[in-house]
Amino acid sequence: MNRRHWLCVAGACLVPSRVMAVSPDLLEPQKAFRVSARLVPGGDVQVRFTVAHGYYLYRDKLRFSIEPAGAQVGAPHLPDGSIKNDEFFGTVVTYRGEVAIVIPARLPPGADRLTLRIVSQGCADAGICYTPQDQRLVLTADGAEAMPPAPRNLLDTLEGR
Amino acid sequence: MNRLQQLFALTAVALLALATGLYFRTGEVESATAPPTPPGLMDAALADLKGVKTPLGTWKGKVLVINFWATWCAPCRKEIPEFIRMQRKLGPRGLQFVGIAIDEKDKVEPYAREIGINYPILVGELDAVELSRTLGNQLGALPFTVIVDRSGKVVKTELGGVDEAHLTSVIQPLLQ
Repeated sequence: MNRRHWLCVAGACLVPSRVMAVSPDLLEPQKAFRVSARLVPGGDVQVRFTVAHGYYLYRDKLRFSIEPAGAQVGAPHLPDGSIKNDEFFGTVVTYRGEVAIVIPARLPPGADRLTLRIVSQGCADAGICYTPQDQRLVLTADGAEAMPPAPRNLLDTLEGR
Repeated sequence: MNRLQQLFALTAVALLALATGLYFRTGEVESATAPPTPPGLMDAALADLKGVKTPLGTWKGKVLVINFWATWCAPCRKEIPEFIRMQRKLGPRGLQFVGIAIDEKDKVEPYAREIGINYPILVGELDAVELSRTLGNQLGALPFTVIVDRSGKVVKTELGGVDEAHLTSVIQPLLQ
């Protein structure tokens, strides 16, 4: 019996049996789908997602809303993305890597900040999907992004609700 | 065998003995690798498709396979036909699948009917996510499957899709 074989025998006793069906190194959703945003002079909101390698976001699951209610908001300009032929959902559009989205917006007179609410949902190529994420970012007129509150899973604003 | 080989051999035997001791210290083989069973697991209750709050304890005494899933989750949809087949095959021997959909009832119901799910479905939102977290699903990701023995103890959890052969190998000894 050679050296490598011995180590293997000893090592096998220290390795716990398989518990997870996919890699335990999966990222938290906030790290898999990093998001930032800023309010540019003139009022538009620029949103940027950085999707980690091996993960993807569904374009059709993205939802944006802006507070205060008095702000004028246009339809988000969503980039084309990649076509994915899903076994169950047919043709869907997904985003990977860097994704830049512009939301036309005008603050009401006197307002110097707005709160952007983003709902997103994505999956990992490893074979899991994350529950929808609900994030709020506070954006100020000088272009800064205030510290957002912690995101949470969102289940009541899924598509169609 | 030279001195270096002897040293390696002795080290390996010592590690083997240490690992074996640690493994059996808790008295049961399974408890060394099984995730902890959350207190009150069998009391956890979610609404079924008729809106009736149903505790997991309803199926105590059976080997339970609790599958957290959603209609919007493709990997979840992929494994459900296998669960249907296993329920049909092993149900008479005491196997009980329970699906917990983190979803809308209005989407779950037609889907369950369409593909012929032959086991109970409970529906939840944040409460179901929280239940899966107490069972070790820290990412809140799907699919997530939990295998519980007849005494109500969690034996294994699986994040991601599981295949029929693997699941059967875990379940078979529990059905004895």
